[in-house]
Amino acid sequence: MDIVDEDCCQHIEDYKRDDINTFRVVHAIFVVCTDEKSKQTKLKNAFCHVCQRLGPHLHACLHCVFFGCHKHIREHTADMKHCFSMDLTYGQVHCTKCDDYIYDSKLDEIAMTNKMSAAKCNKRLLNWTSWEPLEEDRGDFLNCNPKRICITPDSTIGLRGLLNLGSTCFMNCIVQALMHTPLLRDYFLSERHKCNGLPGTCLVCELSRLFQEFYRGQRVPLALNKLLHLIWTHAQQLAGYEQQDAHEFFIETLGVLHKHCEELSPQHSTISTTEKITKCASIIDQIFAGGLQSDLVCQKCNAVSTTIDPTWDFSLDLGPVSLGGRPPSSLIDCLERYTRPEHLGSIKCSSCQSYQESTKQLTLKTLPIVVSFHLKRFQHSKEVRFLPTKSSLNVFFFIQKEKKILTSISFPEMLDMTPFMSRNKTSSSYPIPPDNRYSLFAVINHLGSSINAGHYTAYVRQQRDYWYKCDDHVITRANLKEVLDSEGYLLFYHKHNLGYE
Amino acid sequence: MKMTQEDKIAYHLDTNNALDRVTELVHTRLVDCGWRDQVRLACRKAISDSGDRIPSVDELINNITGNARGMVPDSVKKELLHELEKILVNVDKVAH
Repeated sequence: MDIVDEDCCQHIEDYKRDDINTFRVVHAIFVVCTDEKSKQTKLKNAFCHVCQRLGPHLHACLHCVFFGCHKHIREHTADMKHCFSMDLTYGQVHCTKCDDYIYDSKLDEIAMTNKMSAAKCNKRLLNWTSWEPLEEDRGDFLNCNPKRICITPDSTIGLRGLLNLGSTCFMNCIVQALMHTPLLRDYFLSERHKCNGLPGTCLVCELSRLFQEFYRGQRVPLALNKLLHLIWTHAQQLAGYEQQDAHEFFIETLGVLHKHCEELSPQHSTISTTEKITKCASIIDQIFAGGLQSDLVCQKCNAVSTTIDPTWDFSLDLGPVSLGGRPPSSLIDCLERYTRPEHLGSIKCSSCQSYQESTKQLTLKTLPIVVSFHLKRFQHSKEVRFLPTKSSLNVFFFIQKEKKILTSISFPEMLDMTPFMSRNKTSSSYPIPPDNRYSLFAVINHLGSSINAGHYTAYVRQQRDYWYKCDDHVITRANLKEVLDSEGYLLFYHKHNLGYE
Repeated sequence: MKMTQEDKIAYHLDTNNALDRVTELVHTRLVDCGWRDQVRLACRKAISDSGDRIPSVDELINNITGNARGMVPDSVKKELLHELEKILVNVDKVAH
């Protein structure tokens, strides 16, 4: 970046003394549109007063009420002997006497204040550049902070083995996945969680501490005893020393985290009273929750009753389809099955008030930023067993049977969710956003034949294109093919394009 | 008659933020496809070619614009056209 002499124009001084408010107002309304009303003003007024066109390079004269395209504003300022005009796309000020655009620190300051108060963040206007310390300051900064971490493709920062505390691999692999969720990492490393709770009871604080541990550059494996204890106290069905289901653990953990975010963060009370919240403020909800739309269609009167529920649990069936279909073989198959209309049998229709055959269809109304798919590999079934006895009395009992479905399910590195979103037939008020692509960043695998035994490992993506296999305290480098060829139990996808709210 | 159609379009662009969305979309696409970097390089080249005298922004705009327009990929143009079509089709639906 070239360093530009900030105050390069002498002519602006007079203007700043007398008319700076004109600049402030014109910039606020026509460049950044600080409120909804100014947007209307802009649309009605911003066109070239000579040729009536909207551009290119529409400018506003800063001395009188005149708008002009590139050609006509130059003619106007020359004819009227007006000195300053402003480009309406970026807010640069042009000086006729200098015959070029000028920089001025005072004007920049006003422009920045306006941009910060804009109604909507505009990518074109807020282009942050990286900050470089000056040469003379550099030595001081380096002395103040002797411990530095440099990130190169070979560095292992962000990777940390986790000790197995006796069948806690289900927890280790979920923690690995959470630690490598890009948006969650950004949230915690920028220290956004402000806690109001009792010290040592908040799971969010513990997660925050773990992020610090993961990214401080140490390589010694960590023991998650504190996290385990917190989970045991907050989700009691998981307490105990036996192996647990990683998916259940994940869902419970998100639940507890969400609850703590809501209860313990100080801004909670103020937001809920002043604004109507359509989406919950907790970071967990913002990242993981999507809106699941369920349409109940009565086969007789075709009435549709629609409900939308927030959810972060996307569990996909793997068993054979009932009506002669083949079992799913890919993630896309599973999702098609998940969003297919399903017969429910007789249900009372709320519109024709009679019991009718109905179908139910699930679609995604809003997409979460991180979507975690749970492939239901564990099938619970009850089986009746007879005990052979010598008497004529048959003794039978039920046994819970766990069957693991070993079908291989292929899953892509990049997934487009557009086909599984709700189509709005009636109105175009919520158009489907154009880019709904996701990329894979973590996979959790289960090795073994039953839910209560076996071992969990995780593949995580770090630094965009490097994959690592996390097997408790052992971390090894992996490649994409290995990841995509693995069995897959929980699949974590991160959205490419994060839309504005 | 012509004026009312324009009013309708203006009203429509205003209420649905369509103009903003399209502008933002084109901006994103042009950055993504590398067009902005190409134009930046062209500007740099123009500046270094002009020797000691530094050209003003206006001169750069005049010299570069023609070429820069030509460098916009067809896919971006097509997408923009499609987006505008979608907007204009909706204009008549919400006609007042």
